[in-house]
Amino acid sequence: MSRVPQIVRGFWVTFSTMFKKPNTENYPEQKDKYPPKPRFHGRHQLNRHPDGLEKCIGCELCAWACPADAILVEGADNTEEERFSPGERYGRVYQINYLRCIFCGLCIEVCPTRALTMTNEFELADQTRESLIFEKQDLLGPLMPNMVAAPHSMVEGTSERDYYQGKISRATDAQIAEVAARAGINANGQV
Amino acid sequence: MTIDNTPVELVTLTIDDIEVQVPKGTLIIRAAEQLGVQVPRFCDHPLLDPVAACRACLVEIEGQAKPQPSCAMTVAEGMKVRTQVSSVMADEAQKGVMEFLLINHPLDCPVCDKGGECPLQNQAMTNGRGESRFDGEKREFEKPINVSDRERCVSCARCTRFADQVAGDPMIALLERGSQQQVGISDDQPFDSYFSGNTIQICPVGALTSAKYRFRSRPFDLVSVPTTCEHCASGCSLRTDIRRGNVMRRLAWDDPQVNEEWNCDKGRFAFPYVQEGRLNQPLVRGEDGLLHPASWTEAIDVAAKGLAAASGATAVLAGGRHTVEDAYAISKFARAVLGTDDVDFRSRPHSTEETQFLSSVVAGSGLGVTYADLEKAAHVVLVAFEPEDESPMIQLRLRKAVRRGRTKVTAITSHVTSGNKKLNATVIATAAGHEVSALSELALDANTIILVGERAASVTGLLTAATKKAKESGAKLAWVPRRAGDRGAVDAGLLPGLLPNGNSLTDSSAREKAADIWNVENNTLPFAAGRDFGAIVHAAVNGELKALLITSVDVEDTQHSASTLQAIENTPFVVSLEIRPSSITELANVVLPVAVVTEKSGTFIDWEGRPRNFGQAIREHNKLTDGRVLAMIADAMDVLLGQQDVAQLRAELAQFAAPTNRVDAPSHGADVPNGLTLSTWNQLIDDGALQEGEPFLAATSRNVIAGLNSKTAAAHSIAEGDLIEISTSLGSITVEAIFVDGAENTVWLPTNSGESKVRTNLGAAHGNIVTIKRGGGQ
Amino acid sequence: MTFTETTWNEAKELAGRYPHSRSALLPMLHLVQSVEGLVSSDGIALCADVLDLATAEVAAVATFYTMYKRHNTGKHHVGVCTNTMCGLLGGDAIWNAISSDLNTGHDETSEDGKITLERIECQAACTHAPVVTLDWEFFDDATVDGVRKALSDLREGKEVKSTRGPVIKGLQASERLLAGFDDDEFDAPAIDEKMLAGLHRAREVGQTLPSSEV
Repeated sequence: MSRVPQIVRGFWVTFSTMFKKPNTENYPEQKDKYPPKPRFHGRHQLNRHPDGLEKCIGCELCAWACPADAILVEGADNTEEERFSPGERYGRVYQINYLRCIFCGLCIEVCPTRALTMTNEFELADQTRESLIFEKQDLLGPLMPNMVAAPHSMVEGTSERDYYQGKISRATDAQIAEVAARAGINANGQV
Repeated sequence: MTIDNTPVELVTLTIDDIEVQVPKGTLIIRAAEQLGVQVPRFCDHPLLDPVAACRACLVEIEGQAKPQPSCAMTVAEGMKVRTQVSSVMADEAQKGVMEFLLINHPLDCPVCDKGGECPLQNQAMTNGRGESRFDGEKREFEKPINVSDRERCVSCARCTRFADQVAGDPMIALLERGSQQQVGISDDQPFDSYFSGNTIQICPVGALTSAKYRFRSRPFDLVSVPTTCEHCASGCSLRTDIRRGNVMRRLAWDDPQVNEEWNCDKGRFAFPYVQEGRLNQPLVRGEDGLLHPASWTEAIDVAAKGLAAASGATAVLAGGRHTVEDAYAISKFARAVLGTDDVDFRSRPHSTEETQFLSSVVAGSGLGVTYADLEKAAHVVLVAFEPEDESPMIQLRLRKAVRRGRTKVTAITSHVTSGNKKLNATVIATAAGHEVSALSELALDANTIILVGERAASVTGLLTAATKKAKESGAKLAWVPRRAGDRGAVDAGLLPGLLPNGNSLTDSSAREKAADIWNVENNTLPFAAGRDFGAIVHAAVNGELKALLITSVDVEDTQHSASTLQAIENTPFVVSLEIRPSSITELANVVLPVAVVTEKSGTFIDWEGRPRNFGQAIREHNKLTDGRVLAMIADAMDVLLGQQDVAQLRAELAQFAAPTNRVDAPSHGADVPNGLTLSTWNQLIDDGALQEGEPFLAATSRNVIAGLNSKTAAAHSIAEGDLIEISTSLGSITVEAIFVDGAENTVWLPTNSGESKVRTNLGAAHGNIVTIKRGGGQ
Repeated sequence: MTFTETTWNEAKELAGRYPHSRSALLPMLHLVQSVEGLVSSDGIALCADVLDLATAEVAAVATFYTMYKRHNTGKHHVGVCTNTMCGLLGGDAIWNAISSDLNTGHDETSEDGKITLERIECQAACTHAPVVTLDWEFFDDATVDGVRKALSDLREGKEVKSTRGPVIKGLQASERLLAGFDDDEFDAPAIDEKMLAGLHRAREVGQTLPSSEV
């Protein structure tokens, strides 16, 4: 073996590798090939009640639990005119700084209303620092069918308790009409 | 300070098998604290009478069949106490009580403002069962009344006891019974107490929360800084809670020597001014006559040139809100840089008699009468002073003393006020301006304290009489100013003819010493005593002044606002140091923004003469203190004063020794006004500039009325409820007349509340002659 | 409602009866209730005014004690004791009967506004259980029929007498009595043979109280 020149031995490695199956993953062209595990800690999401009201009550427990100090929350009062969540309090400001977040999940563990959960989305790179501080509108979950966007009233004749006991299934016609009317007023106001 | 040397009778008992000696009369819960055993408690509060309402503090006492509340039971010789540490019985009892308390307590901690700093949360963890066995419906109330969440209440009665015992405003009470028991008010009497904020702070659950702070923050993201209240001369120690450079709330901090654990609502809630509508950039008046934003360099340069050009005809008007360091910097700047002694901090009505009184009796006198002295005094005489409005902590301390039954309060004032009633005071109803004879007739002894208020300045001869009375009878005398910086300003020498620490300007050795400390030539300092605030204004109105330096003056405080504005207008060059735009801004040539109390460190000297140091709470705003700004102007005028930071100013002020030759005490005869006089003082919560932007606080201010005796009213054919017009040659005020139990021939008005703007509309001071007539209408 | 000068004077008279005027609060609340049939905000204000208390302090007392009514009451007040002794001996039956007759529940007033029914606690008359009170006058050893008869007589305006003597005159009259203004009606001695039966029996068998010394 020692009589075979070094160079030939070297090229033999190269040559033999040509016939092996490549280990390279073609990301991002084939990103669906290996989806993350269901319990993967990805980007957060702020959930909504089935009628579209926000679940977040602005209690700041997530911020309190965060070991990286990545979350900032400021609560505020719901009013009769502008209601974002059932009950008295909602999260007016909600920011997660993904430059700091370590995806440990302590925040979603402490959330008393299950408002904060984690998605499997992991593509969290960007060009600027500002764009990696996600605001409430970036974090709110999408409006599913039968939801209308807050602010709007609670379902007629219900209290916050009914929301937590899962008695709300969808936005009612009155709520839908209310949101539509509100949008109309805003549009008129702008004109 | 005097130390009480009376021997204390000690009682020996054992707690958890450890022997301990405590003074007789100590509550078991306090004795346990001395051993480091924390018995859980809600209703117990060291400054309130025991009530044993919550039962959380049950302990086992040998020989007693049932566990006993340790917060309401005093120690006895040989008593054997077992707390939860060594007794299963006590532990089980405490856990049982906690379970009962939690039965009706909602699980809404995530939305409750108390969450995170809640004694109920904490003690449920330390002294409660892990899980509840209750699966019924919790009590619910319609909410909220005011800002109270009644379902959270554990009926500890701390709030009602505070209101009743400490404040003397028993407008809240525990209504109903059983599980429906709730804190409430009567429909016709709102809880308008000057001290209501304290109930929020001592509520051990989240039943009482602040409307202002509601849902604003959480304890963990607050940075708490010990500060001193800037609103009055009580000198309350406060805790300022800051979140990202903004003040979120202020709480009373524990200082047994001064404010104990209380403060007033003004101190607690009147802070929006520190962040709203601030002046952030220097402004310089351009050729076009308008103010334009300028750089610091430019503004300082313009100010320095203007002041230098006016040399020999400059004066300094400083308000009463400065820290002693800033006041000293102003005092020094006036003398050493401007070479003028025309300097005065008294933007309110004042007199030469007062100048003399302050220079001879108050300046540099250090700690005099203290809160502890008030508590021990046999007799306290209030002269031209309304503690509830002008120094609320004195009101609380006097009430405490009176409740103990050893102290008697006498008030020489125009009428019986709600504050007097709470002190059970003997009111010597005296028409404003006639106080001298009332005081002279009093028989006083060495166990008496005379508290004289700031409005005594406008009654000729009163300060003389008070000084004399104190000297003759051996009674102690204290001057209680209204503003936090007043006493410090006196010590810093912000009065004509007065150098720091009570030294007289006309005393040549003191002047030499001052020149030495200030590192200037002796002959640059003024030789003769200058003009006081009123004289400066008068001179300026007549165009005798070329430049004015004004800092933290409220035109609305001055004897006659219009004259003050005229004075500023008639002065060719005005430099104004301000925190927010004011009526002076509009007339100034250079406006320099300065730091508010949260943005700087410093010292207020309270009415006792006690220095109240505080640190810088907010560092983010990069605001300069008055001292720093003046140093920059001095630099530009080629007088090097150094950095003039707070530490340097403080050290420099300390170099001024006590005076060898004091200014003579005042000796003015009484000058009794002949006619119907005006009695007036500022209510605690009024239209003061620092109270702006706080609607919840303003809502608790008292009704604006004119108070007068029914006979006086009858003489002017005025019926109760009539609108009356009170006027002077300068203007008039029309308000509703209410009959008060008081002296004849005098009418009371709040100085700066609603329609009653005494300084602006009447240009009058306490004791001045006014005329009244029915203004018609109901 | 505004009170007459007589009421004000009577209230002041009550205040003068005690070393600490505040002690007069309980009778004074009965006095205003005797005038209005309830303790209204005006009544509370009167007491607060006379005694120099805050209205909240008076309201605290007025809402604590169940004998002070914050709502309108009927002409007569019927109390049925349903504590253990009375309840077992027929109080529960009386309560059920009267409650369904009047179609009213606890602390409610019948539709005609004549009778307010209340479930009351022990009146310290267990020897005569079951006990019913009519305008706080005793109806000892009550029966369903007896109470029914008394109530129908009251509604018809006939005279009804307590088993202990006094004529039933209406709640407001009784409240006046409670306020401390005596109507000089005869009151039977509170102690009768039935009440002393236990004592006699104890003496017979030679029972004595245990010594109070520890």
